[in-house]
Amino acid sequence: MTSSARTMNGGPPAPAALTTAARADRISKAYGRGDAQVVALDEVSVALERGVFTAIMGPSGSGKSTLMHCMAGLDSVDSGQVYVGDIEVTRLDDKRLTRLRRDRIGFVFQAFNLVPTLTALENITLPLDIAGRKADQAWLDTVIDTIGLRQRLEHRPSELSGGQRQRVACARALASRPEIVFADEPTGNLDSRSGAEVLAFLRNSVREMGQTVVTVTHDAVAAAYADLVLFLADGRLVDQIPDPTAEKVLERMKGFELPGITA
Amino acid sequence: MMVKVTLRNLAAHKLRLALTALAVILGVAFVAGTLVFTDTTGRRFDDLFARTGQGVAVKVRAKKVIEGADAPAVPASLAGTVARVPGVAQAYGTVNGFAAVVGRNGEAVGGSGPPQLGIGWNPADRDHPVTAGRGPARADEVVIDARTAGKAGLRVGDRARVLVQGPAQDVTVVGVVDAGNLMGATVAAFDEATAQRLLLRPGQFSDITVRAQAGVGETTLRDRIQRALPSPAYEAITGTKMRNENESEVTRILSFFRTFLLVFAVISIFVGGFIIFNTFSMLVAQRSRELALLRAVGASRKQVTRAVLGEAVGVGVVGSTLGLAAGVGLALLLQQLFRASGAEFGGGLTFTYRPVLWSYAVGVVVTVTAAYFPARRAARIPPVAAMRDDVAMPPRSLRIRLIAGSVVTAAGAVLSGLGLGGAPIALLGAGAALVFVGVAMLAPVIGRPVVRVLGAAYPRLFGTPGRLATKNALRNPRRTAATASALMIGLALVSAINVMSSSAKASVAGQVDEVFAADYMVTPVSGVSDPAEAAGAVRAVPGVELVTAAYQGRFKVGTHAQSFLATERPADLVRATRLSLRSGSADLGRDGLLLDQPTATSAKVGVGSVVTARFADGGTERLRVAGVYAKNQLLGPRVLALPAYRAHAAHPAGLGLMINTARAGAATKGAIERALSGHPSLKVQDRSDVKQDAQHSIDQFVTLLTVLLTLSMIIAVLGIINTLALSVIERTREIGLLRAVGTSRRQTRRMIRLESVVIAVFGGLLGTAIGVVFGIAVQHAVADRGLDVLSVPVPTLVAYVVLSAVIGVLAAVWPAWRASRLDVLKAISFE
Ligand SMILES: Nc1ncnc2c1ncn2[C@@H]1O[C@H](COP(=O)(O)OP(=O)(O)OP(=O)(O)O)[C@@H](O)[C@H]1O
Ligand SMILES: [Mg+2]
Repeated sequence: MTSSARTMNGGPPAPAALTTAARADRISKAYGRGDAQVVALDEVSVALERGVFTAIMGPSGSGKSTLMHCMAGLDSVDSGQVYVGDIEVTRLDDKRLTRLRRDRIGFVFQAFNLVPTLTALENITLPLDIAGRKADQAWLDTVIDTIGLRQRLEHRPSELSGGQRQRVACARALASRPEIVFADEPTGNLDSRSGAEVLAFLRNSVREMGQTVVTVTHDAVAAAYADLVLFLADGRLVDQIPDPTAEKVLERMKGFELPGITA
Repeated sequence: MMVKVTLRNLAAHKLRLALTALAVILGVAFVAGTLVFTDTTGRRFDDLFARTGQGVAVKVRAKKVIEGADAPAVPASLAGTVARVPGVAQAYGTVNGFAAVVGRNGEAVGGSGPPQLGIGWNPADRDHPVTAGRGPARADEVVIDARTAGKAGLRVGDRARVLVQGPAQDVTVVGVVDAGNLMGATVAAFDEATAQRLLLRPGQFSDITVRAQAGVGETTLRDRIQRALPSPAYEAITGTKMRNENESEVTRILSFFRTFLLVFAVISIFVGGFIIFNTFSMLVAQRSRELALLRAVGASRKQVTRAVLGEAVGVGVVGSTLGLAAGVGLALLLQQLFRASGAEFGGGLTFTYRPVLWSYAVGVVVTVTAAYFPARRAARIPPVAAMRDDVAMPPRSLRIRLIAGSVVTAAGAVLSGLGLGGAPIALLGAGAALVFVGVAMLAPVIGRPVVRVLGAAYPRLFGTPGRLATKNALRNPRRTAATASALMIGLALVSAINVMSSSAKASVAGQVDEVFAADYMVTPVSGVSDPAEAAGAVRAVPGVELVTAAYQGRFKVGTHAQSFLATERPADLVRATRLSLRSGSADLGRDGLLLDQPTATSAKVGVGSVVTARFADGGTERLRVAGVYAKNQLLGPRVLALPAYRAHAAHPAGLGLMINTARAGAATKGAIERALSGHPSLKVQDRSDVKQDAQHSIDQFVTLLTVLLTLSMIIAVLGIINTLALSVIERTREIGLLRAVGTSRRQTRRMIRLESVVIAVFGGLLGTAIGVVFGIAVQHAVADRGLDVLSVPVPTLVAYVVLSAVIGVLAAVWPAWRASRLDVLKAISFE
């Protein structure tokens, strides 16, 4: 946990101490009933620190997406609590959850992140527009310059490449300066170069803009962009690597993936 | 294999297809209901005619002289001549005419359509057995049928008043006959001589009824009698032919009624066609990947088309079946409605093969036709579309649409113009249908700017949901257009009707002011009556200066039957109707005739010319053209001297009285009404009453038409619901995404609702615009036939556009609710 949040103009004030942006407290989630029951999350506790770029890894079906969804207020938990900032997400009704997602959480999906009828810029400001808030122009400019798509702002999603679309989606997630951004395999559909662009952008948003980002990935190289890698297996948090490199991550994955798959 | 695909798809898209089927169901129900109801009514009349005139072998009557008027009467002596023909068992004269029985409440029974019959009593008549009392023997005695007696509240021994074409008769009811179910007609029988005097002329019969001796056939007897007839003006027909003629008269009225209703059924189905077209287009678009996959694995284009058409057949069959069932319900409802309005329908419904055949034919053919174009389009999806990620229908240019739509619209306009210009009226219908199709084809092109303008204020008023709504409506212009077009049709027809009715009302008001110079008008509420007696009563009222009794009739000049108005003191018309003579004088004497300017000009006659006219009784009269007057809406083209008319009609058909008074006012009107208290079928109206009356009947007609068009609008609403619901399914992921980034449920609902409103208002605007154009065209076409003032009811039309916005809101309720309830996570991972 080396990287403390650095700020730049327009960024949030640096926290005096490391505080958590979001926290899961012994959350469990199961799908189905009886014999068909699948425990997706089994008493998982994580604390995602502010100004940190966290990567979540683990074998397929280990509960990564479920964890993200539960923490982002997109899905409910069976037991345990989720906090975003000081708000207990697990106690909110739909109306408050919607407002929470709109104002304090950013989300990037694997694909289909953009509304096809809106231009890139309109997609970026969508959460702000929905809230009826005016965008902080300086912040918006920073975000747009960071994704490097100033020339394509008036284009429709169908006129952008997959990588460009994902960068626009990241910009949208950051536009409202949320407490935390969740990205579920944001580079899953991209070639390695486009993927690198997106990851670099996410890392920059953390390093230079002081944002908090959590991303799910299967790619050790992608994970190396993060400050911290968490490993999930069978719905449980099994390990973590601070300051990861691709080699370290790859090594670790080999280590537990085999039993993880055969289990 | 493809059959399996078809069936699976039908099962998979139950909800989407159910809404489509509903459009089929409603249209088919309208058709089936109309057919079942008219079949049933026809059967009742068949029963009635099978009962009446059962034992009649031959009828002898005078040949009809003028179409649309009664045949001349025959002399009583003819009965004797016929009776002497070998094979005749019995020949007796019958007398038929108008007679209405006044009930205890002072109002005449019946008269809202079915005839009020006056007949001569004949003891030999076996159709009407006496159930109480006896037959009439004296001039002041009458026998009435049991149902009329019941409605009038009269019993044997009661005094009653009977209205005939002439002075009303005060009589005693001496008997009641059982005439069975007359479908609302009433019967009053006088003794023969009285009937002749009141209904015809002494010494005359309407016709002669002949019964045959045993073993003598109808046709044999008819031929024998025909040879024995003294004049070629008479004819003998078989009893069978007579019964058929009676039937065909009713059949004609029924078939008119059926056609009237079917027109609206066809409109509903036409609207339904748009919706079916739209639904299948959307289903094909949504399934383009699946269809491409089928093509990729080797299905031929034909197979893909057939798979889609197979679904259409399925929807058509299911829709027709349910529609048929709903139609039976509708027929029952119609029967109740008619019963409530006084017509007598006993028994249940009659089923023939016809409604069944037509229901399936219409339902399946319309569904398959409407689905044909989307099905062909499905076959054109390239197999590579299966590999593509986003919805693969390539956007097609609207240029072809623009050209084709313009051509179709123009062709429709030309056809409509021909229809209005005097060619068969069906051309107008076909033209209107073409215009609708043409405009619907153009609608995607028109839609873009219109929707932009309509939605321009949305972002400011409703924020992002508003902006998204406009964009969604613009997203697929064809879909928006087809949905709006369905609503357009109903609103176009309603708007056109409103423009016409508003013009008609303004025209009537103008004409009444222009030509109605009398203070009061007295007209019969129903049936015909001789106003002479009433005129006498009114003349005695103090303050009444001028009473002009008017009659109407028809004569034939050359081969043309022409209608005329007759009055005893034509000079009074100058004051009562602002008659303005161009030449000659209004002094008609016994055989004078006045013509209006256009008629005189086109017949190339003038003052002093002599016109030979043939009257309904077969007699001819040389009429002297005494004067020519300026066109007058109240008088019509011809005014005849009453004596000439009376010479050929014992009971001329009365039109009413025109009354001029010294001081018009409530007191005078009251006095006139009191003087007419013995004439319950006459009503007194002043100028504004006449206007209101005319306007009221126009309003009633408009209401009827609007109600009949409502179904087509309901179908259009279903179309909007269907389009929105399908759009919601299509945009599931997008809606999920919007929800994920913080769009609230309310905002989601608002977005769908606003889109719906834009579509509906676009349809409403298109509809009212077309309707106004149609209305103005019709007004222009018939301006010289009385619709001379154009009046566009702007507030009503605005109300219809507002109504379409409301329709938009209502149609969106369910789709919007569905959209807002989508599970965010499931929506995002929706394929
Ligand atoms: N809606 C659902 N119904 C039933 N089981 C589910 C559902 N969603 C997830 N699961 C199960 O829960 C477990 C965790 O799923 P999750 O999607 O979180 O895995 P993941 O780690 O994201 O996998 P991947 O790397 O393949 O995306 C899996 O076993 C999955 O089958
Ligand atoms: Mg996942």
